[in-house]
Amino acid sequence: MTDGATKNIKEPGKNASKTILLSLMQVWAWVFLACLVLAFIVAVPLVSGSSVSFLSVRNSQNILVAITPVLLLGLGQTFVIISGGIDLSVGWVMSFASVISALALRGAFNAGLPLPLAVLAGLAMAVVGCGMIGLFNGVIIAKLKVPPFIVTLGTSFIVRGMALLMSENTTVIGLPRGVRNYGNESMMYYVRGDGGGFYFFQKPELTVELLRRMDRIITYPVLMTALVVAVAIYALKRTKFGRYTYAIGGNEVAAVRAGVPVERHIIKLYVLSSVTAGIAGFLSMLRFTAGSAVIGDPLLLSSIAAVIIGGVSLFGGSGTVVGTVIGALIIAVLTTGLVMLNVPSFWQFIVVGAVVILAVLIDQTRDIIKNKIGSS
Amino acid sequence: MRIASKLGAIGALSALLLSGAAYAQDKITIGFLPGVVDPFYQVMELGVMAAAADLGLKVVTQIPPTWGVEVQTPILDAMVARGDIDYLIIAPTDKDQMVTPLQLAMESGIQVITVDTFLGNGDYANGPVTFPISAIGSDNTEGGRISARGLAKAIGGKGSVYINSTNPNVSSVEARAVGFNEVMDNEFPDITVVGLDFNLDDMNTAVQQTAATIERVPDLAGVFGTNVFSAQGAGTAVVNAGLGGAVHVVAYDATQFAIEQLREGVVSLVLAQKPYDMGYMAVQFAVADASGVTSLPAQVETGFAIIDIDNVDDPEVARFIYQVPN
Repeated sequence: MTDGATKNIKEPGKNASKTILLSLMQVWAWVFLACLVLAFIVAVPLVSGSSVSFLSVRNSQNILVAITPVLLLGLGQTFVIISGGIDLSVGWVMSFASVISALALRGAFNAGLPLPLAVLAGLAMAVVGCGMIGLFNGVIIAKLKVPPFIVTLGTSFIVRGMALLMSENTTVIGLPRGVRNYGNESMMYYVRGDGGGFYFFQKPELTVELLRRMDRIITYPVLMTALVVAVAIYALKRTKFGRYTYAIGGNEVAAVRAGVPVERHIIKLYVLSSVTAGIAGFLSMLRFTAGSAVIGDPLLLSSIAAVIIGGVSLFGGSGTVVGTVIGALIIAVLTTGLVMLNVPSFWQFIVVGAVVILAVLIDQTRDIIKNKIGSS
Repeated sequence: MRIASKLGAIGALSALLLSGAAYAQDKITIGFLPGVVDPFYQVMELGVMAAAADLGLKVVTQIPPTWGVEVQTPILDAMVARGDIDYLIIAPTDKDQMVTPLQLAMESGIQVITVDTFLGNGDYANGPVTFPISAIGSDNTEGGRISARGLAKAIGGKGSVYINSTNPNVSSVEARAVGFNEVMDNEFPDITVVGLDFNLDDMNTAVQQTAATIERVPDLAGVFGTNVFSAQGAGTAVVNAGLGGAVHVVAYDATQFAIEQLREGVVSLVLAQKPYDMGYMAVQFAVADASGVTSLPAQVETGFAIIDIDNVDDPEVARFIYQVPN
């Protein structure tokens, strides 16, 4: 989050209190998330009765499943915003991916391919199809110098229309039955209470009574999202790809002078953003066993909110992937917790909105303090 | 009243604790998850709450802010994770996509009753989806037929008509269009259906689509709006074009707005569904099922009230206008 700046703090004695404040402000999103979780752990049994618990395996897994689309949309977005751009097309690219991957999967299966290969064909279609959209965005932004806000806004409309047309005005159904397992099952199961325990690799054959107490730990979509997140963390932190991204967002002119292939890199960033959105659409297609041309419509703003809450500056140059994960978690924890409290889930909008503004305020204050320490 | 009860839920922890203790252990808890915020589902919620009050049950209600499976499913999962819900009354936002999430809910021990919209083809006895107890709602194909005959009568049995609908692959509005087209094809050879548009649950889009159709089809005689958003949008477009009374509108769903337009002569016929009955009956079904009743019908049609300018003031009819408490 703060590559160069923290190195300036060399006299901890002098600015001790400010330094503590500064580090507190760096982890405030973690603290906020922890407080939120604690508040729900305490309040849920009080309000909804002792039988309802926020702190359950089931609930933790629900939250992980719930963040996958928002997180994947926010992931590529994190890179794009760090570089000083924005991608408004991700929600509709996700819908588009849901449709084309469903069509590809169904086509491959009907042509006689075994199910695992058909699922892979769906994934390949989502990645390649959405990669092309990203390429389109990137080339126009980097080569023709049209502002990203405009380009991706335009693309989002184009893609939305294509998705609705390709799905022939409807949900793409008729997928093989086994698809639901890819989208909803996991490699680990836990059955609570008597006669329970852990089961691995295969869904256990259970009585109806035991089935009710069965939780799926890390479903396949969550697993795949985790892998993508891990790659993204590595790429941003440890590779040239990540350094270029920060450099372009920090100062594009300086980046050019330093020999960063700015245009090429910007194109890659928009491809990345579309591809992570495409993976989100593919996973949601598996989960709901159907493609849908409207599935990603409500998710764009939530994903940007997650990125901002996570501490990515809209001016570019700073931010982390882990921050975006925290941002997505805060949104999902709010939704789930409010349902468990039986409070209208609309409150989440108010809280998320406030937290977005708070996030930016804290960032700005941090910069001011940092500058003071630096100059003193 | 509704707002007051919600505020109570947030603030009065102590009162809730007391009332929580008052729920008998063997009474079931109901989850209510409609499709989206609109007057139709608000009236349904009144029915659910009334039945729950009459039967002394606890209800957990969550209303999705926008229509769609990515919005409805996380709320559904959270309701399942509560662990205290025995029966879920839900209006699925997609007849295919919501099958898997609801099946998973059922595996966790929650019985499902669908209201308004349904899963699969709505036939839980012999259809592709059989796990829900019952589908309670309007016979939407019949509603489409009634709307078609009403519109045909208003325009004198000839001319061009247009359908404005909300979302593809939603069982309710899809069936309305099917019934409408069927009657126009079979019974009114002089009427042409010139188009069907989806406004994706956005009233502004509905206005625009209808306005464009008015431009495209100069002799347009009538519009069928298949739900709240469609009908209100269609009515608004007709008024904006100065064609109130010349282009007839049939409105599915008896919102206050639709009734106003009926009085102004823009809307010729309003088809009132019975969301209150759907909500009330779904709770009764849940209780009956929990008490061991095994012969509950898998499909229940709640019927319609047909409202026109002649009967709109008749109290027997007017009570079906969607009354949403302020």
